[in-house]
Amino acid sequence: MIAATPAPSASRIRLVKLLLDHLVWFILAVILLICSLSIEHFFQVGIFINIAQHATYVGLLSLGLAFCVIAGHMDLSIESVMAFAAMLAAGLTAARGSPFAFQVNTWVSLLLVLGFGALAGLFNAILIVKFRLNAFVVTLAAYIAIRGLGLILTGGRSIYGLPPDFRAVANTDLFGLPMLVWITIVTYLAFGQILKGSLFGRRVYLVGGNPVAPFRAGINVERVLFGVFILSGVIAAFAGWLLAARTNGATPNLGVGMLFEAFAAVVIGGVSLRGGIGQLSGVFAGVLLLSTIDTAINVMGLDASYMQVIRGGLMLIAVLLDGVKTEIAKRLG
Amino acid sequence: MRLSRRDVGILLSAAAALAAARPASAQNKGKIVYMIPTLLDEFQTESQKAVESVFSSLGYEVTSVDAQNDAARQLSQLEDLINTRPDAVIINAVAFDTIVPGIEKAREAGIKVLNFDRLITSTEFELTSVAGTVEIGEIAGNEATRLLTERHGSPKGKVLQILGDPGDAYTLDIQKGFEAVMAEKAPEVEIISKAALLWEPTNAGRAFEDQLLVTQDIDLVFCHAAHLTVPIVSIMESKGMKPGEMMLMASNGAPVGLDNIRAGWQQVEVEQPTYAQVYGLAMFIDKIMAGEELQTGSYKVLGLDSTLTVEDWGPNLKIPGAAITKENVDDPRFWGNLQFPSVPVDVVK
Repeated sequence: MIAATPAPSASRIRLVKLLLDHLVWFILAVILLICSLSIEHFFQVGIFINIAQHATYVGLLSLGLAFCVIAGHMDLSIESVMAFAAMLAAGLTAARGSPFAFQVNTWVSLLLVLGFGALAGLFNAILIVKFRLNAFVVTLAAYIAIRGLGLILTGGRSIYGLPPDFRAVANTDLFGLPMLVWITIVTYLAFGQILKGSLFGRRVYLVGGNPVAPFRAGINVERVLFGVFILSGVIAAFAGWLLAARTNGATPNLGVGMLFEAFAAVVIGGVSLRGGIGQLSGVFAGVLLLSTIDTAINVMGLDASYMQVIRGGLMLIAVLLDGVKTEIAKRLG
Repeated sequence: MRLSRRDVGILLSAAAALAAARPASAQNKGKIVYMIPTLLDEFQTESQKAVESVFSSLGYEVTSVDAQNDAARQLSQLEDLINTRPDAVIINAVAFDTIVPGIEKAREAGIKVLNFDRLITSTEFELTSVAGTVEIGEIAGNEATRLLTERHGSPKGKVLQILGDPGDAYTLDIQKGFEAVMAEKAPEVEIISKAALLWEPTNAGRAFEDQLLVTQDIDLVFCHAAHLTVPIVSIMESKGMKPGEMMLMASNGAPVGLDNIRAGWQQVEVEQPTYAQVYGLAMFIDKIMAGEELQTGSYKVLGLDSTLTVEDWGPNLKIPGAAITKENVDDPRFWGNLQFPSVPVDVVK
């Protein structure tokens, strides 16, 4: 005789679901604990601030990318948009190495940079939405071309020496935390609210889950996708502007490799590459997790090449866990 | 729009006339291709300009191809070039050994191959012009020893060495030269080495900022490229440090390093003599094209005492690198001052 397995209680189901929904945060907590206990000098406020501060640029790139992926697409151009935005911002304001014969105010540079990001996103969106070209190919082409534009703009030279008010954005502390950390937190909270609580956000999920159904329900799918790509471009450009503030300028290879970090963070954060699923809180945890491992490797004195291996491993684990999570969620109903 | 036969004829005639109108001097002496490892680096963009300008002035037609820091791509580019039959190729290799099979094929095809900037010892060239990356590291080691001695009375303390990408032989050679000198002349100095993956400056800034928390008493930071100092100086400023409080050195001689010296943030920049390296190749190009033997001995290259020797890898012109300090930072011969030499090439007859 086979004994019937008792059904799990409602509170237990809720607990398991909570754990599954916030798995990356638990993994982050465990990694932080292990690093704090096992690495000399790791457990100190300064290190935790560094982790959060260094997460700014990849964090913002990941945010825009997460919108695209949840909407069922991808944007490979973000790294180049960020780098070009940094060069543009530096070129427009810096004392040395600028390709321009004029300078503009810090805040005008921000507006111009955001405008550039919007244009880049609009360009991607027109080709993807109106001309129905593959997003991977279009944004890859933009990734390559915009990096080249940066080289043309700077002539391969570094631009540096930003005005003090520009640099203050990255070098000022507020309530004990760097301004960059606050900017990242506020941006995530705001866009998290937009994604979860606004009509636009709900449509992003719907379009990513199944673009046909929202179309039949009268939702303007094209408009949603235009919004997503423009948003991604604007956020990437904003990340570039902050990066210029942080590094007091821009070099032609600024931000190289950050696209892959952003993708890793999005996947580790639980956003499904099939679209329609994911939360910005998970992405933020994914970014912090990668930043923690980077810092741990720096502090430990391990060869930097290990970082690549660990990142790749984490992405694979995240994809595997995603499958397990889906299976468990199905069983729990 | 449809074109009539007459229109096509006019267009073809115009194209032929344009082709015929190209400068005659560019076609006189032969076609040279310059193979650049990457353009995301000021040293490389400046060397590209120098190569194109100097060899064009001698009557050669020069084109450049960029390998985008990809050794496999550079090898493919070289193999493709062999089919287009240039008269000479100037190699600035991404990876020293990966490119060797392509070099051998090119030479078998009768193409003259010259090596620029990065020393390759495992195959033969018509001419190599280098400052030597190991030697750049050695100059940096001597300068670090001097700076630490000036600060502590003897060579001791802590040095944070920020390498470029750990997969790039260029940075590993600098490290080798630097650490060999430090081991010999300053054995008490503790060297902490961190890499800036992909030569990306934010990664350098991050490594520096983390180390500030872990190792509080760093005396000197040595970056393997000047552009890596940009975020480091920014972080120093934001931490309230004064110029010179923590010493800073870099190598390659880019404009940003020289400006750092002027502002007091940086004490030494080890220069790679880009212009002289290009002039060094150009001095001998006519003899190489004519298949004549190069005479060993001493040569003045843009005023620098240089030596031509014959090594296992062929004729080798060694041009000394230089330590740039506050005293000589404005010397126009340093490429970081971006004053392209106006003197003509002193062609060896």
